[in-house]
Parts: sequence; C-alpha cells; structure tokens
Amino acid sequence: MRLIDRMGPQTLRLLALLIVLALVLGFFATQIPNYLNGRLFNRISSAVAIMALIACGQTLVILTRNIDLSVGSIVGFVAYATGMMIHQFPDMHPLLLVAFSMLLGGAFGAVNGVLVAYARVPAIIVTLGTMAIFRSMLVELADGSSINTSMLPTWLVNFPNQQLFVLGDLQFRAGFVTALAVVVVAHVALARLRPARKLYAVGSNPEAAEMAGINTRATVFWAFVLAGALTGLAGFMFLARFGNITVVAGLGFELQSVAAAVVGGVNIFGGSGLVLGAFLGAVLVNVIDTSLVRWQLVTEFWREAVLGALILTSVAVDQVVMRRLTRLRRAGRSATPGASARPAPGASAPALGGSSAPHGAHGSSASPGATGSARSGSANKGSDRQEGQR
Amino acid sequence: MKKLIGATAALLMGGATMAYAQTQIEGGTEADMVLLPKFLGILVFDQANEGAQEAHAELENPGELQFVGPTPENSVAGQIELMTTATTQGVAAVMLSNNAGDQIAPAASAAQEAGTRVVTWDSPIPGGEGEDIFVAQVDFGSIGVVMADMAHSILDGSGQMAVLSATPDAANQNAWIASMEEALASDEKYADIELVDIVYGDDQSEVSYNRALALVDQYPDLGLIMSPTTVGIQAAAKAMQDEGLCDDTKVSGLGLPAEMVSYTMNGCAPEFALWDFRDLGYLTYYTAYGLATGQLTGEIGESFTAGRMGDYTIEEDPGREGAKRVLMGPFTVYNSENVEAAAQ
Repeated sequence: MRLIDRMGPQTLRLLALLIVLALVLGFFATQIPNYLNGRLFNRISSAVAIMALIACGQTLVILTRNIDLSVGSIVGFVAYATGMMIHQFPDMHPLLLVAFSMLLGGAFGAVNGVLVAYARVPAIIVTLGTMAIFRSMLVELADGSSINTSMLPTWLVNFPNQQLFVLGDLQFRAGFVTALAVVVVAHVALARLRPARKLYAVGSNPEAAEMAGINTRATVFWAFVLAGALTGLAGFMFLARFGNITVVAGLGFELQSVAAAVVGGVNIFGGSGLVLGAFLGAVLVNVIDTSLVRWQLVTEFWREAVLGALILTSVAVDQVVMRRLTRLRRAGRSATPGASARPAPGASAPALGGSSAPHGAHGSSASPGATGSARSGSANKGSDRQEGQR
Repeated sequence: MKKLIGATAALLMGGATMAYAQTQIEGGTEADMVLLPKFLGILVFDQANEGAQEAHAELENPGELQFVGPTPENSVAGQIELMTTATTQGVAAVMLSNNAGDQIAPAASAAQEAGTRVVTWDSPIPGGEGEDIFVAQVDFGSIGVVMADMAHSILDGSGQMAVLSATPDAANQNAWIASMEEALASDEKYADIELVDIVYGDDQSEVSYNRALALVDQYPDLGLIMSPTTVGIQAAAKAMQDEGLCDDTKVSGLGLPAEMVSYTMNGCAPEFALWDFRDLGYLTYYTAYGLATGQLTGEIGESFTAGRMGDYTIEEDPGREGAKRVLMGPFTVYNSENVEAAAQ
C-alpha cells in the first residue's frame, strides 16, 4: 500500500496546504531578492504566533457551526487590561499574569457562549454586537491613554524574542514555540479526546448529536469559552510583542482569523477541519501578506486587493491539488469494494476502512457539494468525522 | 525734529489702529461646541480635548463643549454621521480632525449652510470645501524640512531612508511626506539621501511593526525609517530594538516624548519631533469660538488674540488653494538632551 493510500482526507488536505505554501514561497523567491533565508523564517514565525492562537480558537467555534467576530476586540481589551495589571503589580508572577489574561478572555467568550448557546441568538449577530461592545469597553477603559513598553517589566517585553534553540539560520523563539505547542495540544485533543470530539459531532449534525446524548448547548458554550481563553492568551502575546497598546489593538483580527481557518480547510459550515490546518492557513496568509510588502510590482493601494486575490488563488489551487491527491489515492485503491459506489466525480472521496456504504466528500470547503442542502451536508460531515477519527 | 515727532506719532497711531483691528476674543456668549477627533482613545486627541476644555472654562462659555468621536473601526462613516448629528442639533461650531478625506465635504457643507461653523485641526479637509478655517499645528512645508534635517543629521549626510506612514489616505501624513520629498529635492546637501520606499502601517502597532521589519529585509542598507505618526515611530523603534538592528537602522519622525524616551536614550531613535496637542486644542477652541460668536468673520488678514497663546492671523493656506488657515507652530525637536524632561 502506498503512503498516500493510508492518508485520511484531512491529512491529504494538510499535504495540499504544504504544497501550496511551497508554491507561494517558490513564486516569491523568483520575485524578491534575498528572499528564502533564515530571516524570513524568523519574521514569519514571530508574526504568526499571535494569529495562530486566535485561528485555533476560531476553529473551535467554527467547528460547531458558529463564528466569533469579537476576537479582535477581545485581543485588544485583554492586551490593554493585562498591561494595566502588570503596571499596577510589577511583581506579579508571570504564570499568574498569563492566567489572568486567559480568564479574562474566557469570560468574554462566556458572554458570547451564553447568548449563542442558551439565548439562541445567531452567533454572527451576537459576536458582531459584542465586537463593538468589547471595543467600546476598551475605549472606556483606556480613557485616552495607551500602554507602552516603559510601563512593562523587562521579562515580559523580552519573552517573545527569547531564542529557545537554533537550527542553522532558523531561530525558534519563545513566542512561536508557545503558540506551536498550544496548536499541537489543541490538535491532538480534538483528534483523541472524547469531550473534544463533541465539537465535531455538534457541528456535523446537531440533531443527531442531541439524540446521541450530547449536550449541544453546553458544547457550543464551552467552544466559545475556550476560544475566548485562547484569544486572551493571544492578547497576552500581543502585549508582550508590541508593547504599545492603543484602542485599535487587534483591529481586523476577526476576519484574519476566519480567513486563516477557512484557507486552512476548516469548513465554514461546521463539522470538519483541523487546528493544524488553521495554523497552516495562518502561516500562508502571513507569508503572502509579508511578501507583498517586499514585492516591488505591487503598490500600496493594490496590496489589499492582491492579498485577497492571492488568498483566493491559493484556496483554488489547494482544491485542485487536493482533488489530484484524492484521485491519485483512488487510482491506487480502485480494486477495493465501495469505490464503485461513489457519487459524482470531484465531489467525493472513496470510503475508507472497507465499508460498502457510499460516503460523501470530506465536506470541507474544498468540495462544492458541501454547500448543498443541509441534510446532505450533514451526511457528508458525518462520514468526515469518522475519517477524522482514524 | 518736528517732522520726526510727527512721523513717530503717525506710526504710533498706525500701531494703535492695528491694535484695534486685533480682535481680543471675549468670552461669556453662549455657543455649543463639538470637538470631533479622528477617533476616540488615542492619547494625542485626549490632550487636544484637555486644551479645548481649558479654553472653554477660561472663556466661561455657558454653552456645552462635547468631545465626541467615532470608534476606531468606524472612523470614516462615524465622522460623517457625527457631523450630520451636530448639524441637526444646531451646534454653533464643529472642530474636526478629519480622517474621512473629501468624503466628509458634503456633510460639512450642509453643516455650514445650517449655520454651524466648521473649523478643522490636525488634519484638514483636503479640498477645503465645507471648512471655514484650518488650525494648522505647524507649517506643513516646515515639517518636511524638519524631517529632512533629522534624516540628514542621523544619516550623517548620506544613506537610504524609507517612510513608514499611517494610512494611505491620511491627508496630513501625505502632505508632510510630499513636503519632505520636496525639501529633499530642493537642497544640494540632501543629494546623497535616497528615499527608497513609502509603506503604510495603518496606525496600528502590529501592522507598523511588521512593515518596519519588511523594510529592513527589503533594503539591507537601509539607514533610517522615518515615521510621521506617533504609533508608527514607536512600533518601528520597538521592532529595530527587538531584532537588534538599532546600530544599522535608526528610527525618526513624529513621536510623543513619553512613549519614545527609552528608544531615544538607547540610540534606536536619536531624534524626533512633535508639537503640543494641548495647545492645538486650545487654539482651535479660541478660533472656533471667535467664529461661532461672530467676533471673527474668518477673512484673510484678520488677527486675533487667543488667550495665553497670544496673537494669530488668518492667512491663505499655502498647501491648499483657496483654503484658509491659522498657523500654530513651532515644534520641538527632541533628542537625548531634552527628551527626559519632556517625558515627565
């Protein structure tokens, strides 16, 4: 059996993302002098640490068929409040400060969670509202002043850039390693832990999850709380990295995090996707953004448009690559039963594990079929969940 | 001798007439005022509000001074909305730091038609339409010269420099950058200074920080990042310090002493400049109050006394044809010798 035959669709997706990332890097390497070097790695890894945490939290929420647009405001508020806290109590233990920012973020997440899960208000409405409310609370809290580096202890300011280890030209700094560790833990937890699997169940088919005895409300609530806590941690990192916190801190992060998750293959309709994918999505968006500034061909006024176009292109290329990989795998397994039962080409992957029941596509954004009727979408996601568990 | 005395008397009388033309802004008349910053929550705008409140109290205006502004993510639309609200409330004057470009002109013109005076400060309406007078913090042309001079002294006469600005459509920053380019081109002594790029950090710490790093990656010989915004200069200085690049690439521009003191003392940002935003708010209030109460007509050549800050004259704005301005000036260049005192 070839290696590719043993991969689940989600693993294939990660592989496709890595290929797209390599293509993007290769493209910019031909356009920008002195591009591919250790410095680029250091830039991207330091910059992506914060967004990786937020995208990770966003993924948890999106998995449950919801969305959190308030993450940018939470980052801003937590960064500011944490700065105030350490300024007031300079001797506070670092871990206590981290706990403070995560609890604060979690509290904001709980507000969202209660309104979405128990008051049954659509998440997009709730978090659109709380995005404005949390931001206004920050304006009120800041009262015109800003946090700056001179108000912060040295350990905090130096933390993100501390080199933990070096591989050749590549520096692994504390901020990046922390974020990576959190992402890996979240990824493994979602794949292995029973309570975490509930997120997929609720997102795949809420009714079925309910009937299976899962408390869907509590699951959605905790998804928002966890996302808030991760975003709070990102707020802490934001404070440490930039030092200067004004009321605009974290502005626009909500859409960046959604972009990272969706580019990373997390299904915007819930039920499927990997935290590691969202992380790669964040890296990809960051690479494009950073490289565009250095690409002389594009002027400032076109940069946003080109960024959008490149993100769309990468998603499109990602789909093509994904389909190729799927077909490649299918070709190798054409003799297995069940393959003949597959529905329309392009929208499907063959069943894994020898089951003869026809399975749908893996249901992520790569498959146009996922946007079909809710019922068939749910069925697709159901199969995806099984495959994700493998 | 007699002739001389006569001449002196004539001069004195002339002086007296001129003094008469000098309007002393008097208080006591009721006029509701609105101070409208780009958005709320930035230190410099709060300082401007302090200055305006000081003038408001000093003039014993029985009316109300409102400090209202949009939230940061809604600056352009919010400013236009607040301008319209002020018009319907029938306030006597709106003092605007414009962040909406010419998009705000229709709302501002409507306000003027309804009898509201529109005085801009910090950032004008680029086309001048809908605006009575612009209270300029410093001469926009002289900002360019000061930035060019700081670049000259930091680069020791030759080297590469890049600009890290706020947003691509910020009227004030764009005017300053243009005037700096003009200054660089106009004098031989700047011949060896090369302006290699202009990038925009959107006045957000994280964007500015990453843009500053992208600049040094792009131009390995970059000697200076010039940032004419208080957010950008600080983010750039922190980025250079974090990456240990302060020896190669210096940072300069417009910054707040309290935020810049550590970077100036450790050599990352040896020189920067700024004006006093409290004074700007104070002078703006006096100008707007004078117009709103009819003490000033707003004609070119009209002079007035603005409380503790002394005498000012309304003049043509050299940067914007057909627009009028009151010039505050001057501003202070900070370095390791004076920054610590100013940061207190």
